[in-house]
Amino acid sequence: MKRNDYDVIIVGGGITGAGTARDCAMRGLKVLLVERHDIATGATGRNHGLLHSGARYAVTDQESANECIRENMILRRIASHCVDETDGLFITLPEDDLNYQAKFVESCLAAGISAEILDPKEALRMEPSVNPDLIGAVKVPDGSVDPFRLCAANMLDAKLHGAQVLLYTEVTEFIKEGDMVKGIRTFNHQTHQSAEYYAAITVNAAGIWGHHVAEMAGVPIGMYPAKGALLIFAHRVNDVVINRCRKPANADILVPGDTVCVIGTTSTKIPFEECDNVRVTPDEVNLLIEEGAKLAPALASTRILRAYAGVRPLVSADNDPTGRNISRGIVCLDHETRDGVKGFISITGGKLMTYRLMAEMATDLVCRKLHVDKACETATLPLPGSERKSFKEVAEQIWENPTTAQKATAGRLGTGAARIKDTSPLGQSLICECEEVSVGEIDAAIQRLDVSNLVDLRRRTRVGMGTCQGELCGCRAAGLLARAHGCTERARADLKDFMTERWKGMYPIGWGDALREAEYTQWVYKHVLGV
Amino acid sequence: MRFDTVIIGGGLAGLTAGITLQEAGRKTVIVSAGQNALHFFSGTFESTEAERERITEFFVRAGIPVHFQDGQRLMPAGTFRPAALSLEDVTLFPQTPVSSKALIVNFSGFHDFFTAFLAEGLEKNGTTCRICTLDLPEMEHLRLSPSEMRSVNIARVMDSCWEKAVADIRVMHKDEDLILLPQVFGLKDASIPGKILAALPARAAFIGTMPPSVPGIRTQMQLKRRYEILGGTFLMGDEVTSAAIHDGVVSSITTRNLDTSRIFGEYFILASGGYFSKGLAATPVQVVEPLFRLDVAFEEDRNGWYRQDFFADQPYMDFGVKTDADLHAVKDGQPLKNLFAVGSILGGTRPDFGSAAGLALRTAFAAADAITTSKPQE
Repeated sequence: MKRNDYDVIIVGGGITGAGTARDCAMRGLKVLLVERHDIATGATGRNHGLLHSGARYAVTDQESANECIRENMILRRIASHCVDETDGLFITLPEDDLNYQAKFVESCLAAGISAEILDPKEALRMEPSVNPDLIGAVKVPDGSVDPFRLCAANMLDAKLHGAQVLLYTEVTEFIKEGDMVKGIRTFNHQTHQSAEYYAAITVNAAGIWGHHVAEMAGVPIGMYPAKGALLIFAHRVNDVVINRCRKPANADILVPGDTVCVIGTTSTKIPFEECDNVRVTPDEVNLLIEEGAKLAPALASTRILRAYAGVRPLVSADNDPTGRNISRGIVCLDHETRDGVKGFISITGGKLMTYRLMAEMATDLVCRKLHVDKACETATLPLPGSERKSFKEVAEQIWENPTTAQKATAGRLGTGAARIKDTSPLGQSLICECEEVSVGEIDAAIQRLDVSNLVDLRRRTRVGMGTCQGELCGCRAAGLLARAHGCTERARADLKDFMTERWKGMYPIGWGDALREAEYTQWVYKHVLGV
Repeated sequence: MRFDTVIIGGGLAGLTAGITLQEAGRKTVIVSAGQNALHFFSGTFESTEAERERITEFFVRAGIPVHFQDGQRLMPAGTFRPAALSLEDVTLFPQTPVSSKALIVNFSGFHDFFTAFLAEGLEKNGTTCRICTLDLPEMEHLRLSPSEMRSVNIARVMDSCWEKAVADIRVMHKDEDLILLPQVFGLKDASIPGKILAALPARAAFIGTMPPSVPGIRTQMQLKRRYEILGGTFLMGDEVTSAAIHDGVVSSITTRNLDTSRIFGEYFILASGGYFSKGLAATPVQVVEPLFRLDVAFEEDRNGWYRQDFFADQPYMDFGVKTDADLHAVKDGQPLKNLFAVGSILGGTRPDFGSAAGLALRTAFAAADAITTSKPQE
């Protein structure tokens, strides 16, 4: 094989691409993954971070529900350091039909999801923030999952198994010979260099952007960009996922994650041109707050940290204008049998929860085509960081008397925290005080996890995700990046981008304490620091 | 309790009004919630071209030597900005390159002083830089806790052992003609920065850090001391809870700490600051002044409050309390006869007074002047 020859090229660095790269690499294939931005920049990093039990889909879509609960149980094992086993409640409010509950429980059980009806008082004891007016509650095995961490761990494991990962590398063209895709031409946005890579199979795992990737390869996939808006609150109001027990609708899931909680989502069809720059509108914000407060009344008076939106990569199935009735099911397309284009497959539809299954399906297809006969092991082998279960256990294994910051690190990195060798006071000094991220952890991320800028760093370490939204840690982290990359000018431009990116999620909810924080931050950066 | 003038807010505007009134022999009280914008003050005031002499003398009388000088100041991010009125220990540079060789000194483990940015900014302007770090045993206890290496904590240590830092810098220094240090000196004793400048082997300059600002806190303490020496009553850590208004005249206020006893005044000055200080409060649909429910100038459509560029001038910062020409605050369309609004609560509604520090100082003077020149109400 020549240097630029691979068995398989994967287009897309979201969770599906990362999972597929890991699976392919674990089956012994020579893998290249290309991503035009950073990992987890699309829908992967722009959702609830909900570890679905599948209960949400039980009534409307048994197949998705069953996929969810199976993957739910697998992720608890293989990605324990990314998962918070919170459990979930499906509550019935006075305006909801309590008769739906029986059907809901029956459908859950049929899909293999444990569903236990609780007395409303018991539900209130289990989750004191829940709306006290509730008239019914069902407990299901929901949880929360950190999608950035999950994506980074898959990417890291793919690399540990020999895969090559090229970030900021965009596919500009497919290299075709007759009806056969032979490889890709790429443009690297950092080095401004073009290159060609060849492989027997190219996998399109580009989420909603897969529509255009497929178009480039000469095959049509009718995709359906559905924007979902979400809000992050500055406190972990609830400890248990709260859902509404009714047909899926807007803003009816509240998920706790790390120190915050997230309400969502909406569903609006948007044109493809908007997918690269989705913004949250005031109407969406109002709806999310109003509906969210019905789940947990405290949300009405809780500070909002930021608003964000993602685009679901749904595959059009019918003419439903809301996009809610399209199956969240997985779509794995062999373009040879479907469109007569050889060496090209698309893996799309699905959701964060089922990424591993999607990767398995895509990899199975790749292996069949390459006549590779090796079984999938991703459902049993833990991801790097998840070799042990509890983060306290992990922390105590590494440090004699772990501090809260060290426990936070172990929570983020799992057993990977052991790689943070710098235990000197300097290495332990905090860069991000909201999320307790140390110099050592940031240095480790820069060295091991392909960090080119502050936004990348945030995805891997949570720097700047806390209450101050980067105001204090942005400059400090920029200093560390400048040192690591040896380029201060780049770090300075990067800091500006980082603050503008943070602001993008702040101004849609720019009132109250969020505006106080913004006024302070803008004042400090402009007039005190002179950035 | 009864005062000539009741001042709400203990930041630059409130203290300036209080000091000016005390100097004129009035009996005043300041109700201060605590932290204010002075704690982030970088040591230099922008846009204070007008009333130079009055401002300079005001600070000098408070024991805060300032100088008016045209020049550039070196910002913490390594950029240059024009400056006018500055604290004495803020170095202004008349031109670039500011020197041929500079030594940038930091404390090891202090992440809030951006040496790399400073070096890059200077080198772009023709100055060769060398970065050194100081490791004093006196700082070890700060390092034990991962969040203690912050400007004010270092300054507390430096108040007693700045001479050791100077001795170490003298060893590090080679042939540089400029030494840059973080602003972490002289928290309590304002004379320390001057002593350091005199003791170093080359010209030196103090450059800002991430807030809180050591010279800012020092300035605030000095102004407060001046106010109290003049006989002013400073209610620290208290908050105004209600105000009584009758026939367009404010008669009294209550505060959290004083519970039911009211503070009466002939005049009232509202210097409660912008959003951060809670002088203004934004809800999803409006911007309000929460205490007196004064009229606020703001844009109705929230979409118009912000610019997408974080570094652009943000329209929400221009919103502020409406006043008449003499700074009487307006409520329900009518100016209140004895309530003045001063400082950043005005936002950008009074561009005639300059921005930020200029606005605070000059509106405070104007309100104090209006009070001292008017006849006592009977």
